[in-house]
Amino acid sequence: MTYLKKIEQRIKEFPDMPAMSRTLLQSLEDPDVDFKQLEEQIQYDPGLTSNVLRLANSAYFGATGTVNSLRVALMRLGTRRVTEVVTAIMVSPMMLKSLSGYGLRSQDLLQHSVWVAVASEELAKLMGYRDVKMLFTAGLLHDMGKIILDPFVRQQKDQLLQEQLSESFDQREVDFLGMSHAQAGATLLSNWNIPEEITATAKWHHDPESAPEYPEQVNMVHLADILGYSEGIGAGIDGMKYRVSPVAHKRLGLKKSDIEYVASLTLDKMNELESLLT
Amino acid sequence: MPYRIVDISDYKISKNSGDILVTYSLGSCVGVVIYDPMVRIGGMIHCMLPLSKVDRNKAEQRPAMFVDTGMQLMLNQLFESGVRKSRLKIAVAGGAHILNDDNLFKIGERNFTVLRKILWKNSMLMNVQDVGGNISRTIRLHIGSGRFTVKSQGTEVHYDLPQKD
Repeated sequence: MTYLKKIEQRIKEFPDMPAMSRTLLQSLEDPDVDFKQLEEQIQYDPGLTSNVLRLANSAYFGATGTVNSLRVALMRLGTRRVTEVVTAIMVSPMMLKSLSGYGLRSQDLLQHSVWVAVASEELAKLMGYRDVKMLFTAGLLHDMGKIILDPFVRQQKDQLLQEQLSESFDQREVDFLGMSHAQAGATLLSNWNIPEEITATAKWHHDPESAPEYPEQVNMVHLADILGYSEGIGAGIDGMKYRVSPVAHKRLGLKKSDIEYVASLTLDKMNELESLLT
Repeated sequence: MPYRIVDISDYKISKNSGDILVTYSLGSCVGVVIYDPMVRIGGMIHCMLPLSKVDRNKAEQRPAMFVDTGMQLMLNQLFESGVRKSRLKIAVAGGAHILNDDNLFKIGERNFTVLRKILWKNSMLMNVQDVGGNISRTIRLHIGSGRFTVKSQGTEVHYDLPQKD
């Protein structure tokens, strides 16, 4: 069986999102959702309830004063944030395992993903982009494909790391495995019926210029990703072997000091969220 | 032997000969090791950005995030604990870059430049330099022996920091 076939097989067999979060995410998409109804759905799961409360009380999600009741937490976060928080809680356990093919220790993928989620939002804020839909989640889920590809990367490690190669690592994945982690992640997420902004971001995060839609999400996540690798956050064997799109940051008008400022803001926020999600 | 992990934007100093200081995953960040073989005291720092002026608030809270404020802090503390400048051995690793070394993301190069200037101003020499390229590195310092190792993509290189001049 070719690697491509094996990858497709693995995507198919990969566990689905928990059914409960699917229903919850659907009701969150309804703009007229009733908070009481939401509260009932979440309360049903004590683990989820306590996690939502913890995140609602985090500095990152803008807590002022302690919130003890789920109802208040939901009101304070608003439906959009609740969606992002619930998705993060549901998906982060999948990102805890080490990925030995990529040379990532346990939690490295989660740490990198949280970095990208936070740094994307910080970039957007700094550059005056408001209301970039699903940016946090798009950042958080951009590398899910690495979980799919990891066993095959492990088998082809020597090929993928040949000294003379100058292609970026996602292109090497296509050359030696038949599919990049970006594409694998996008396919997985679309099987999960995750909103399109997020799926598209996963797919184009190493090639933002080719993205047909959602340029803000794709560009921010691309830059946040490269910045994370630069700073060694969850950078395994592939970390420094990517290219930054010259178009992405010109489009945003970024300066060196902007990039460094975002990096300085992101580290502590990442640490906070990572510890809340593990 | 007990590993003592130096997190990103942090530093540690040790005089316990059983300790091994380690910092993981240096990309563009620079890792600096300073060691005095006479008293067997060593320090390790993992700085992510070159200059503190980019975020003064952060520099107050986390001076080791930046090469300028971090190096100053670690050096002061080393000198206070009995390290002498004339005996110092210095090893530097990291400062890598991504494939297309785009100006905006030359953080590694800027980190290394600032570090070199600081060392130069203080008339301090680097004994070991393992910097640049597109690889991420893990470094260790064995306090008892002064052994310094750099690991990257599964290969580990050992350097024995010179014992005496």
